[in-house]
Amino acid sequence: MHKGKGMKFVGDSRISSERKSNIPKDYSEYPGRTEAFWPNFLLKEWLAGSVFLVGFLSMTLAHPAPLEKMADPTAAGYIPLPDWYFLFLYELLKYDFASGPYILFGIIIIPGLAFGGLLLAPFLDNGPGRRPHQRPIAVGMMLLALTSTIWLTYKSASHVDWEQRADANKPVPPSEEVQIDKESEGYALYENNCMSCHGEDMGGTAGPALIGIDYSADEIATIAKEGIGSMPPGQFSGSDEELQKLADFIVSVNEQ
Amino acid sequence: MSEGKQPVSRRQFLNYTLTGVGGFMAAGLMVSPLRMAIDPVLQESSAAGDFTNVKLAVEDITDEPQRVDWEIEQVDGWYESKVGKSAWVYKDENGDIVALSPICKHLGCVVSWEGSDDHPDKFYCPCHDGLYYKDGMNVPGTPPTAGLDIYEHKVENGMLFLGKAQPREEA
Amino acid sequence: MLQKIYDWIDERIDITPIWRDIADHEVPEHVNPAHHFSAFVYCFGGLTFFVVVIQILSGMFLTMYYVPDIENAWRSVYYLQTEVAHGQIVRGMHHWGASVVIVMLLLHTLRVFFQGAYKKPRELNWIVGVLLFFTILGLGFTGYLLPWDNKAYFATEVGLNIAQDVPIIGDEIKTLLSGDEEIVGAQTLARFFAIHVFFLPAGLFALLGVHFILIRRQGISGPL
Repeated sequence: MHKGKGMKFVGDSRISSERKSNIPKDYSEYPGRTEAFWPNFLLKEWLAGSVFLVGFLSMTLAHPAPLEKMADPTAAGYIPLPDWYFLFLYELLKYDFASGPYILFGIIIIPGLAFGGLLLAPFLDNGPGRRPHQRPIAVGMMLLALTSTIWLTYKSASHVDWEQRADANKPVPPSEEVQIDKESEGYALYENNCMSCHGEDMGGTAGPALIGIDYSADEIATIAKEGIGSMPPGQFSGSDEELQKLADFIVSVNEQ
Repeated sequence: MSEGKQPVSRRQFLNYTLTGVGGFMAAGLMVSPLRMAIDPVLQESSAAGDFTNVKLAVEDITDEPQRVDWEIEQVDGWYESKVGKSAWVYKDENGDIVALSPICKHLGCVVSWEGSDDHPDKFYCPCHDGLYYKDGMNVPGTPPTAGLDIYEHKVENGMLFLGKAQPREEA
Repeated sequence: MLQKIYDWIDERIDITPIWRDIADHEVPEHVNPAHHFSAFVYCFGGLTFFVVVIQILSGMFLTMYYVPDIENAWRSVYYLQTEVAHGQIVRGMHHWGASVVIVMLLLHTLRVFFQGAYKKPRELNWIVGVLLFFTILGLGFTGYLLPWDNKAYFATEVGLNIAQDVPIIGDEIKTLLSGDEEIVGAQTLARFFAIHVFFLPAGLFALLGVHFILIRRQGISGPL
């Protein structure tokens, strides 16, 4: 290619009028069995990528992405779990030395040392040797961090009953949500007698949900008066007629 | 080795294979997203057969157009809402019920019967002074280029039910 | 025909040097699994990038249906899952891709670590790589909230409470992330959506660019 004097351009642009050849470089004189990235090696990479893609798509088809019930901040007894790659942090905070008065250990010092060490690894491990046995401290620390992460993740995940969890949290289609007539007389009675424990939408707070229960009106009336399980007796205050209305109302919501 | 003699053909072969494999990956990646994206185009349009009771007794319909308003349940993907609709309803000379859409065929404003004092016995659109005769046909020389849409209607138990507004056939 | 179009463009804007510069570099024998099968460990970086591409594509398409609004977010995801053809697959790609990208990233990091490939002169690229790791963890954390189901809500609440325990600026961090001092709700979702879809991906692109440029300038680390 021309440089300096005598350069020719396309029109008044700064594009050289001499075309560069579109032939790849020749790597045959390079040491070893070096090959060109394009197209030789890229083809192999993409073949591997295709196999990976087929596997990935098969997994996607076999396991649809889970979706739980719509977020309900009052859902009682829901045990939150982060995604699996944060489980080790979540588990770490359960230990005494990383919670309560030592919470700083759990959230700042331990993760800070681990991730800070990872970030600055080239400066902490600055010797010339690259082989693992030439830098036992760095490799040892990494193995320690790796095993503890895997151990924490395993501990956290092992006592979760994933299937039961998925079953209990199946999404409810929006059209099948129960409609509660909040103007009705029954709801007014519910509001006065039951709502503080069973929630505004009968979804339960301190007490269980009143939706999806299998009691007759009489049984509900008895429970309201006499209690059941940890529910103390005498929760209902009102006439028998009102009690009947309340029980009928709760049954009517469940019949939907 | 053959590379020395025919370097071009070997490279071309590699390039073609590369394009093929790349195309396979792109296709595998893009089939589902594209199918998802064009889904609304492939959805069958909902049947026109949904009639709503507009709470107007047939005997109350006169030969003077009167405005009726009603609500329909509209399902828009994941969003369900009530949407107001309105129509101008009257009986023509033969006693047949006519229900006209109030949406102006010019630019979609809302017309009203005798909406202007200057134009009695006509539908008037305030946006660009569009006019329609009582039968809904546009008055020549005013902006609209077609007559008002006509609602499908039926009568059940003496009540008027309206369906979808259909554009009139071009004469 | 194609050659003519290429020549026409090349004459005007001289693109051959640009793309030859990207395409032409040598791949040494020790990273080529065709010669040494154990060299498959060098694939993890490329696969991480591939999954990132899957995430970007599927994410772009998901926003056609998703709305970041607490009333409608869950409904729109449910609609996408149940009513839209292939909607479940695209969401599945994004959901599983989020996990696979972290696995691949971990394997890539371990490969580089145990080979000591971060040693001089490649310290900077290691730091960029760890920042990429943090960015992708951040994408995972913010993306988790978006479907607005119970899992999303409560996991985010826990995450925000952890942030609150940070000394001195904890409350400010939490408020900054959730948009309100107490409520995890509409403002939180809007913020997480913006962070997940615009801010972190912008950082991701910049860091990826630097990562790749550095690899090309320094070349891949030699055999052990």
